[in-house]
Amino acid sequence: MATQQSTIPTVSVQNLSVSYTTVYGTVRALNSVSLEIQKGESISIVGESGCGKSTLGHSIVRLLSPNANIDSGTIELEGKDVVKMKGAELTHMRGLDAFMIFQDPLNSLNPVKRVDVQLLEALRMRYKLEGRTFVEEEAYKEAEDKLTDVRMPDPEKIMTRYPHQLSGGQIQRVVISMGLLMRPKLLIADEPTSALDVTIQAQVLMLLRELQRTYQMSIIFITHDINVAYAVSDRMVVMYAGEVVESNASESMIRTAYHPYAQALIKSVPRTTKKEGRLTAIAGSPPNMLHPPAGCRFNPRCQYAMDICRVKSPPPVRKEGGEVRCFLHGGSDS
Amino acid sequence: MSSNIGFFLVRRAINAVVTLLFLVLIIFVLIHIILPSPIALAKLYSPNPRATVQYLQTIVNRYGLAAPIWVQFYNYVVQLFHGNLGTDTISGNPVATVLLLYLPVTLELVIIGQIFGVVIGLYTGGIAASNRNRAPDYGMKAVYLTSWGAPPFLVAVILQLIFAYWLNLLPSSLIADPTLPIPHVVTGAPILDALLAGDWTYLYSSIQHIILPAVTIAVIGFGLVTRLTRASMIDALDKDYVKLAYMKGLSKRKVVWGTAFRNALIPIITLIALIFAFSVGGAVVVEDVFEYHGMGWFTVNAIYNLDYPAILAFTILVGLSVIVANLAADLLYAAADPRVRLT
Amino acid sequence: MGLRSIWDHLRRKPIQSTKAGATDAGGAKKLEGGEAGEVSAGMRFYLLYLRKDRAAFVGLVLIAIFLGWAAIEGTLQEIGAYTRNPNLGLALIPSNPNGLFFNNKLLPPSLNSFPNDLFGTNYLGQSILARMMYAAPHDALASVLVVGSAIVIGMLLGTTAGYFGGWLDELLMRLTDAFLSLPGIVLAIAIATLVGGGFTSLLYALIVVWWPTYARFFRGQALSLRDKAYVEASKLSGAGSGRILLRHIFPNSIDPIVAYATLDLGTVILTYSVLAFLGIGLTIGYPEWGAESSLGLPYFPFQWWPAIIPGVVIAVVVIAFTLVGDRMQDLIVGRMTY
Repeated sequence: MATQQSTIPTVSVQNLSVSYTTVYGTVRALNSVSLEIQKGESISIVGESGCGKSTLGHSIVRLLSPNANIDSGTIELEGKDVVKMKGAELTHMRGLDAFMIFQDPLNSLNPVKRVDVQLLEALRMRYKLEGRTFVEEEAYKEAEDKLTDVRMPDPEKIMTRYPHQLSGGQIQRVVISMGLLMRPKLLIADEPTSALDVTIQAQVLMLLRELQRTYQMSIIFITHDINVAYAVSDRMVVMYAGEVVESNASESMIRTAYHPYAQALIKSVPRTTKKEGRLTAIAGSPPNMLHPPAGCRFNPRCQYAMDICRVKSPPPVRKEGGEVRCFLHGGSDS
Repeated sequence: MSSNIGFFLVRRAINAVVTLLFLVLIIFVLIHIILPSPIALAKLYSPNPRATVQYLQTIVNRYGLAAPIWVQFYNYVVQLFHGNLGTDTISGNPVATVLLLYLPVTLELVIIGQIFGVVIGLYTGGIAASNRNRAPDYGMKAVYLTSWGAPPFLVAVILQLIFAYWLNLLPSSLIADPTLPIPHVVTGAPILDALLAGDWTYLYSSIQHIILPAVTIAVIGFGLVTRLTRASMIDALDKDYVKLAYMKGLSKRKVVWGTAFRNALIPIITLIALIFAFSVGGAVVVEDVFEYHGMGWFTVNAIYNLDYPAILAFTILVGLSVIVANLAADLLYAAADPRVRLT
Repeated sequence: MGLRSIWDHLRRKPIQSTKAGATDAGGAKKLEGGEAGEVSAGMRFYLLYLRKDRAAFVGLVLIAIFLGWAAIEGTLQEIGAYTRNPNLGLALIPSNPNGLFFNNKLLPPSLNSFPNDLFGTNYLGQSILARMMYAAPHDALASVLVVGSAIVIGMLLGTTAGYFGGWLDELLMRLTDAFLSLPGIVLAIAIATLVGGGFTSLLYALIVVWWPTYARFFRGQALSLRDKAYVEASKLSGAGSGRILLRHIFPNSIDPIVAYATLDLGTVILTYSVLAFLGIGLTIGYPEWGAESSLGLPYFPFQWWPAIIPGVVIAVVVIAFTLVGDRMQDLIVGRMTY
């Protein structure tokens, strides 16, 4: 894809398959997913609940729950194999290379510790991992400054508060500033604004965009909302039932999506102009992840489904700067 | 901001008093439901189960048992306030005095035993949760299931069998060597008094004697604590702030024991009073088996002798202790959880 | 009508919560329950997934054996008492639990005259195994009756208090607070001694001890359910409080309690045995599990089996209930999804 410089991509996921062992059986959460992110790039992973986007995010930083298994594939962070990491190396990676923001602000921060204590904790770890000495006053100032960077009013007051005394938007900002303090190369945001009011949502999104440009971080933005994805990222990756069905630059995707599911997603967003007639919903119901459909996982809900779709899984096909997995656009001859 | 603790505690204290009043009310109501007539009530106070009706009538008059219920209740509460819990039908002594002799002994036993049980239980619960569904979890599970499922008398008897009889390591009964003179009574609790008086022989002996009963009490509570801690830890480990802690670069040990455990402790604190109540209940049996002369032992004898005032007084005292323990737990809870302390 | 809906509720199939919408990154499959109807899981669900956990399965088998045996033996004893034929209760037991066999005094456990001497004999030569088997129905009956009554009383009082709120709720909270500040054993001792001896008085005592926990439970359920959408909808369509309670609140409160109740069956047996050990609630001529242990104490420690073995049997039964109830509890809360 990138012929500019041969830099190692920040994240490189190749054919990753992840499954969960549950009481109900084995859930095949991710099926041979591939993803690449360059330095400073911001991408969104879009899909409905349960499509595996969160699992993908968590896999990259090895935060999967104990009943998850990485069945096959590779994950590389700046060329380092993440899957095989252990102990100190793993801690190092999680501390310095990546950071993650979560959806529900209510549980994002440790409820029993003050904000400043938690921020300083993060800084202390970073200094330790970098091999620098920790000076309390310096660190405190740095933490307070970062709060200002994330547009938090009254940072000194916020520092002395406990998480339950902050609003949802404030908590997210604290978490974001914690992330900035850690100076990660990669920031993963797992539906960070889904639990916030629309106005706060916009603020946080703009903030993330700005920070990404300023600090040249790579961002993975996980969301179910296509509008948010479009607003925040350069590239969009659409997932369905554990597979990547299409990926392309945001602009291109919004104008012309190729995969029927992606098209339906974009069409299903209600427009504010009166011209739209009815709301277009996607027919059918979400797939059973214990026993996903054979062939292309979208075929039961796809109006264009052909015989081959029910049998074989479509391979990725290059199309206009992006990639699609759909027999409508090729791949049936391989 | 910090005056919130003040308000919180005052509210809880008022709560405690109200609960205590309700407790007394309940006991009173129960007595009067079960024994509705004055004659039946008189039987409570008569040491002789074959007393004649005339004799019982004199008791009725003496204690005013024919008066209307609310008058009796009022008198009852007033008496309680003055520390009069009735008269022991066997010895004729005021029950309050007798029980107060034995109360510190039992409290000492239960507190020591419970501390052990809780501390170890917290630790095993944490280990079980962080190794969920793997070998250590199953191991812990076997242990805490047995500790919970085995009746207190079984644990007591087995411990006695192994350590006192087969191995001859520890004494099998009593508070201390009966040939030793008792140290000057300050608190009434044997170990404490021995410490305060500097009586090392007695201290040594009483410690030896308390080990088995205390371990039994510890075992009784340990099962419950482990189960609760494990559940609480599992809930805490699932939270996002735990994942965040990993992302800060903290090691697994620091995350599990520093962040998750600390948060898991909070709901457990509220259950400490429950565990205390549980242990006190078990103490009755433990004191019986080990002939440890505390409140429980006294009560078992009272049951045997149908000494109703003593049994009822015991019930009220235990209720009071649990309410106080609840209050203490509330204090601890307020200290541990900032969400309670501050708005 | 209310009973019917409860029965249906217990028998229905679990909702297929395997659709994609039920997962999150943790892979935790939360039991999906929409706002409409609030269905979550049924009996079949529990049985199905209990099989996966070997320990809980063993527990289930043990419970089945215990309850099954208690039911059979209990019925025999009852029919025997009714028809004045006491031997009926002895039909399935290896030897007479109340007989006097001085020649067989205090025999240690052995395989002789199997299964009679499996647990040894006590000071009267009676087979301890026989006495335990004979006494089993009382424990099973006690646990089922006490928990059942506690649930019914707790449901009625707790749900109405929680649903209507106000002073009724306050009163209930204060009352249960007071009850709960007494350890079960202590309160049961007080009541049982006051009422006098016998099995039934002990049952009453235990029911009085047990109902507050369930009242609290149901109150909590009522509080959270009364704000649900379908209750609002019901009110709007003109349903009276009674109907709402019966149709919506009661049936939907039961689920989380089933698991706890299973656990509680074991706890009742535990408390009951402790009380029997202390000599409370005994009937002449009827052995009791807990009492067996205390009867064996005078011969302790040289003949250790009369004192210890009854306790072990109690422990096994209680552990079985705990295993199953614990697992069910984990399943409901979503803690045990793997």
